[in-house]
Amino acid sequence: MSTALGWLAVAGLAAGLGMGFGVAPREVTQGSVQRIMYLHVPAVWVAYLAFTAGLVASIVYLARRRPAADRLAHAACEVGTIFLGVNIATGAIWGKPTWGTWWTWDARLTSVAVVFVMFIAYLLLRQAIEDRERAARYAAVLGIVAALNIPLVHFSVYWWRTLHQPPSLLKPGSSTMPPVILAALLVNFAALALLGAYFIARRTRVLAAEEEALA
Amino acid sequence: MPDNWSFVAAAYAVAALAFGSYWRWLGKKEREINALRGRNAAGRSTAGRNDAVGNDRASRSQQPSMPGHPRPEPGSKAPIQ
Repeated sequence: MSTALGWLAVAGLAAGLGMGFGVAPREVTQGSVQRIMYLHVPAVWVAYLAFTAGLVASIVYLARRRPAADRLAHAACEVGTIFLGVNIATGAIWGKPTWGTWWTWDARLTSVAVVFVMFIAYLLLRQAIEDRERAARYAAVLGIVAALNIPLVHFSVYWWRTLHQPPSLLKPGSSTMPPVILAALLVNFAALALLGAYFIARRTRVLAAEEEALA
Repeated sequence: MPDNWSFVAAAYAVAALAFGSYWRWLGKKEREINALRGRNAAGRSTAGRNDAVGNDRASRSQQPSMPGHPRPEPGSKAPIQ
């Protein structure tokens, strides 16, 4: 199944690049640097989805103690951290030409950095504890606490004055985005979501094989 | 505003590097696990053959010591001069 997901992700990424660079027009105020949005925004959406999957799997693990739930939580949080890292890096690269700075400690950037550091701590915690059951239990608690910060990241642009713009799509009311730009964004989101699903499926399989080989 | 194509290229290159590195790392982990499984399977088949001829070191090490013939423990051995 993961091989099929991988090929679908490759096809989706090709379509996403075609939409972002071939179909979507040059943005009037920012110029072509706005095309970073087709990577930056879907990356954080996929990270949110992965962390939500990790949150649900962690709750299931704490309730039922099923190793499969722990493996899914581990894989989802690891993949989510990579996508969030890509989101932060591409945001910094986009910020330099548009804001004049790579980084600023405004509410959105600070809150997303806190979540990123919490998930790095989650992955380090798993490495640091040798007893698998105890590592899984502690990591599940940390994963839940870290994932609960995601609404704080999303709503930070409403609750505080930030340099970062408010959301254009995940907000109440209809989108203010031109349809062609919206279509390019959604195609890229579908592509990155397929890539994320492929990574999670493959990583879950690797974790299961690792446990089996070490048992 | 200028197009800043170098920033666009840098952003997509960073993402390609991150996803490509993770993909390669997953492949490396899979190869390591397959190698470990292969070694485990080989070890089990060797142990099976040794059991058949009564020459399995692992099972012998778990047998109780015979009275009057204490098994030397590593710590009781004199250091090599």
